[in-house]
Amino acid sequence: MLTKLQILSGAARYDASCASSGSKREGPSTGTGNTSSSGICHSWSDDGRCISLLKILLSNDCIYDCAYCVNRSTNPVERASFTAREVVDLTLEFYRRNYIEGLFLSSAVMKSPDHTMECMVRVAETLRTEEQFGGYIHMKIIPGCNSELVRKAGLYADRISVNIELPSQASLQRLAPQKLKSAILEPMALIGREISSSLVERKASRKAPRFAPAGQSTQMIIGASPETDFQILSLSQGLYKKMNLKRVYYSAYVPVTDDSRLPVLSAPPLLREHRLYQADWLLRFYGFTADEILSDDAPHLDETFDPKTAWALRHPEFFPVEVNRADYATLLRVPGIGVLSAKRIVSARRFSLITPDGLKKIGVVIKRAKYFITCSGKSFEKPDQQPALIRQRLLLSERTDASVSTISHQLVLPGLYT
Amino acid sequence: MNCYLYDGTADGLLSAIAWILEEEPDPEKVKLSERKDTLFEEGFTISTDATQAESLFFRLKQQAPDAAHTLYSFMLAEKEGLETSLLHYVFLAFKHGDKVNGYITHSAVRDIVHIAKKTGRELHRMKGLLRFEKLQDGAYLAKMEPDYNIIHPLAFHFSRRLRAQHWFLYDVKRRTAARWNNGSLQFGGIEQFTTPALSEDEKKVQALWLAFFKTIAIPDRKNPRLQKSNMPMKYWKYLVEKQEE
Ligand code: SF4
Repeated sequence: MLTKLQILSGAARYDASCASSGSKREGPSTGTGNTSSSGICHSWSDDGRCISLLKILLSNDCIYDCAYCVNRSTNPVERASFTAREVVDLTLEFYRRNYIEGLFLSSAVMKSPDHTMECMVRVAETLRTEEQFGGYIHMKIIPGCNSELVRKAGLYADRISVNIELPSQASLQRLAPQKLKSAILEPMALIGREISSSLVERKASRKAPRFAPAGQSTQMIIGASPETDFQILSLSQGLYKKMNLKRVYYSAYVPVTDDSRLPVLSAPPLLREHRLYQADWLLRFYGFTADEILSDDAPHLDETFDPKTAWALRHPEFFPVEVNRADYATLLRVPGIGVLSAKRIVSARRFSLITPDGLKKIGVVIKRAKYFITCSGKSFEKPDQQPALIRQRLLLSERTDASVSTISHQLVLPGLYT
Repeated sequence: MNCYLYDGTADGLLSAIAWILEEEPDPEKVKLSERKDTLFEEGFTISTDATQAESLFFRLKQQAPDAAHTLYSFMLAEKEGLETSLLHYVFLAFKHGDKVNGYITHSAVRDIVHIAKKTGRELHRMKGLLRFEKLQDGAYLAKMEPDYNIIHPLAFHFSRRLRAQHWFLYDVKRRTAARWNNGSLQFGGIEQFTTPALSEDEKKVQALWLAFFKTIAIPDRKNPRLQKSNMPMKYWKYLVEKQEE
């Protein structure tokens, strides 16, 4: 059991998504477990990431041969598979001791997509019906499995996800030839439809079954194929808009196998992953669109500046913003003002005019914001500074603590607490 | 400026605030502190009345639920010396309703909200970091040493989560305990604590958890500094996964 667990949790290690939030479930009165809408971290692993779910593969015994994956059939690694009962017991023992919020179950393709998905659904079904488990369950959908199984999974799980894997069909064909684009997009669309119809039905009757109440997410590998950041962000934007996705996760490609189809990287593109997460936030919470952030002429995210600062530097006509008058959406565009401080500014203004000192207390990052705002008409910096000059100044001020902040930034997944 | 004193208990504090809000025309000009019976102490002592305290909290909950929650979280810290700030905070909360927490340019609001956030953060952390061990008789026990007195809300959280189990929480420093059994929650003090024997499979399950904990980390991205900032060392004592360090 111990070795099995080591193999099958080690194989799940690179999965980015750990969020256990977004679902509120009062558990069955006789059973074990509930979920909390804000999400709870139970530990932090040696790499500093939050552990909230028992994240494992049901099996790593794969019949497919995706170029970027350790578990590809032609790669000689040790193979192991859990039985459904083993996963159920492990989940319950851990949950009762408050080690975890629930289970995150994924799997390699054993025998066939249907067979694999059936085993996974059995785990969820046993937990929910036999064991009355009310904790969190996140399940991956195996592309190509029967749509009935997808439906069943959605009824038992809080969140389900289908990995989009690579940002374009061409790359998918080249690196994961056994996975068809349609086998990925069809279940996604199905899940999207089921989620919204279950929401409608539940408005009419509280008894209607819930379908994946925490929504659906997906993940793609960054840097194993040639797509630009602009292509990737446009894809994400489409997924949020058309498929009703809750989250898109980006996972920097970690070279695990030698394959001539793969690029040779000295290190996983962590900074790129980090910038994509930042840009993704701008899409979801800051009212930006993909083509405001990037364009065909400038298809890659800036390495030195975060995407919001980069946008601000390209749009001097938008600034300065008057903090005592600007509306919420405008405040959000100022570098150094986040969602929280924008909200605080709006509510603090109700009591009195905000002073520069007040801004600091609210949590605005003055050393970044000062080039872009005025406070009751007064500016912090000389108002006519050229963008080029601001660039330099910002760079200098960022330098001083860059060594500290970049390391932690690269590993914290933003949005863990949303 | 008028100075008032109270007896140092939570009920005393709240009933003093209720009294002042009732009787004083301008509570923002009033000072409130704990009675220490020192020689030069000045001020009028307000007597403690538990029903007054309760009714104040109840009224606040109706008019400003967020502020009532802040008040509750603040009280968990058992912090001394901020009584006047609390008085002003409650006064402002009745005046502005829940919007008061946005008034962070006001120093009293800032002080109270700041402390309330800290206890709130520890409570949230402990919801994740608490570890139960299975005992020989099948019950589960979790020991802890939190900075703040959070056993009540914490036990309440687990009463909704681990309902099917018989369990205990034990605050080692304060010697207080909570017990959940068959759908009822009880609190009490513990005079002498002896650690009961663990169930036979307990060490096996702990070993599995430790193995999972070790393998889930990405080896090339070790980051002990980040780990410690998310999970401060003061909580390691009772963490299964941190025993060897
Ligand atoms: S199907 Fe999944 S587990 Fe199998 S090789 Fe492809 S990526 Fe790896």
